[in-house]
Amino acid sequence: MAILIDQQTKTIVQGITGKNASLHTKFMREYGTCIVGGVTPGKGGQEVEGVPVYDTVQACMKEHQDATVSSVWVPPRFAMDAVLEAIDAGVRTIVVITERIPIHDMLYARSVAKQAGVTVIGGNTPGLISPGKALVGMLPKITFKPGRIGTVARSGAITYYLANSLNLAGFGESTSVGLGGDPILGANFEDILQLFEQDPETDAVVMAGEIGGVYEELAAPYISKMTKPVIAYITGKAAPIGKRLGHAGAIVEGTMGTAQNKIEMLSKHGAHIAETLSEIPILINKALEGRIGHKKALDGRR
Amino acid sequence: MRLYEYEAKKLFKRRGIPVLENIVVDQDNLSDLGQIVFPVVIKAQVFLGGRGKAGYVQFADSREQAESITLDMLGKKHGQYRIKKVLVEPKIRPIKELYLAALIDRLEHRPLMIASTYGGIDIEEIARKQAEHIFKYYFKIGEKMPAFKARNIANDLSFSSAALNMGTRVVQKLYDMFIELDCKLIEINPLIIDDAGKMIALDAKVDLDEDAMYRHPELHEMGIEPRHEVGELTDRERQAKEQGIPYVDLDGDIGVFPGGAGFGIAAIDLITHYGGRPANFMDSGGAPTQAKLRAMLGLLIDNPKIKAIFGARFGGISRCDDWAKALVQYVLENKPKKPMIMRMTGNMEPEGRRILEQAKKDHIKLFEKIKIYSVTTPIEEVIKETIKVAQIINDGGQ
Repeated sequence: MAILIDQQTKTIVQGITGKNASLHTKFMREYGTCIVGGVTPGKGGQEVEGVPVYDTVQACMKEHQDATVSSVWVPPRFAMDAVLEAIDAGVRTIVVITERIPIHDMLYARSVAKQAGVTVIGGNTPGLISPGKALVGMLPKITFKPGRIGTVARSGAITYYLANSLNLAGFGESTSVGLGGDPILGANFEDILQLFEQDPETDAVVMAGEIGGVYEELAAPYISKMTKPVIAYITGKAAPIGKRLGHAGAIVEGTMGTAQNKIEMLSKHGAHIAETLSEIPILINKALEGRIGHKKALDGRR
Repeated sequence: MRLYEYEAKKLFKRRGIPVLENIVVDQDNLSDLGQIVFPVVIKAQVFLGGRGKAGYVQFADSREQAESITLDMLGKKHGQYRIKKVLVEPKIRPIKELYLAALIDRLEHRPLMIASTYGGIDIEEIARKQAEHIFKYYFKIGEKMPAFKARNIANDLSFSSAALNMGTRVVQKLYDMFIELDCKLIEINPLIIDDAGKMIALDAKVDLDEDAMYRHPELHEMGIEPRHEVGELTDRERQAKEQGIPYVDLDGDIGVFPGGAGFGIAAIDLITHYGGRPANFMDSGGAPTQAKLRAMLGLLIDNPKIKAIFGARFGGISRCDDWAKALVQYVLENKPKKPMIMRMTGNMEPEGRRILEQAKKDHIKLFEKIKIYSVTTPIEEVIKETIKVAQIINDGGQ
């Protein structure tokens, strides 16, 4: 089914009456995403783009017990509560569009989600898309084509360029996931790689990371355990080095964070490193050559 | 958001972490140096470390000497940071130098305290070579520091039983402050014991979460407001900032007119990869206005070092027709002579292309050196062509 979302997935929108959320509710529905309800406290009973609005996630879930995915569009100071509310109501995947959430809030929301076995994507994610099936978030639909390559990236724009580069070479995406741009994220590369590894509709994975943070390095050891090839594209090689968290940050993170270190770690664990965007499909072809998946991936081209 | 040492020490004092009495001096209050007891230490107030090695931590035995050192430091640059203030406090003799920090461990996603009895010197070196001297204490998220744990940490710092309570208090207060004020980092290096047996934070590093400052009126009361911790800006960087454009000057001759920051970083890599030299980093942000796009172009056209401009628009939230309109209006108004090699694709692409084609037809001469590729040309080809065009100009051709 691709990963995380498809045409059967019932989703809700938290903060649906906001300007951005209501606009993208319209776009998501046009794309085929099944949105069963929206939530804005105090606005229960209204309708947005034909979607019924509830005061609480619990009230929404009472009417739509089969909803499993929520997207969060509320202002940053309400974001932690929105995530906790969704977890409490039984949502299984929470896509946090909100950006600039206080770090300690996100740490807390993240730890509660982990304990409950709930997947949180973001904050500050452009969302995710299973092309031709469903879209949660605000990715531009025209960029993506159905296919058998999974992609996961930190930057929204790079998500588009990956798809573009794949499409030019005749490939398409099973699912494209934006991890998000905030410093502390719910799901990281490893979480998404695991889902792609288990997905029968994905033959290879492209991960795009960038300078700063440690999520690329943390994912590296898992790549050596995967049966599917991973192509990694890391940006920031020519960028000036960013700031560190004092000596303490260096004590904990060592040399992590530079593009060079990320590339070394990923390569050491078996990822194929792409220097440019157009090299990505070439590496996919090479990696899949001779595998059963190769024919399928190419047949999957539209 | 990093704080200056003097701001961090003000916070420490307010929260009961012992610091020395200090004064902060700039051009306007040099006379305050008359009120303190010598000898003193004079420390430049900048975000960058390595002040001591750069000569920006100095001692003075008299007012005259202090004044001359202060005047010498003020206005100088440490790295890219201009020294605008110095902190002056009594010179003391530490008996013991310790290290104490609290931070968010991004590997474990938990708060972490680090302590060491090897403070003051290069603590990172100690961590690499003698890791047994670095103690780490993890905390559960949302957990308050239990008193016994603070005692354990203080005990690891090998205080005498008499000094244990003092150490416990500092550990406790530092952690409470870390949690209560939404800090990313608090670091004291060195935390010292002086010859009277008193514990003092001799330096102070605090990094706050700017996205959580709204809920801490305490900071606002102290005059600590959200700010961008940038170094000295170049004229062009300042001009960009005034127009709300994140912009960094680089050394090269190829102007980069990208979409968002993610591709901005990638573009710099790609230009470098193919042997070109990017002149800048820039970020349009999501859905830039036409005025902002024109301002971005202006920054590049007006830069005499730039020989050719590489541009890319992937219309997502931002639309191709807006981008095309901005480009056409800029060209008609400013008649730029520099070649621009660009690519435009995404939402509203056909509309955008119509606008460009019409303008090209109406103003053949003005658009002679402007090429806008579409989705069928890989972005790398556009970059390679830009590099070639810049090279030809550098070689003396037109």
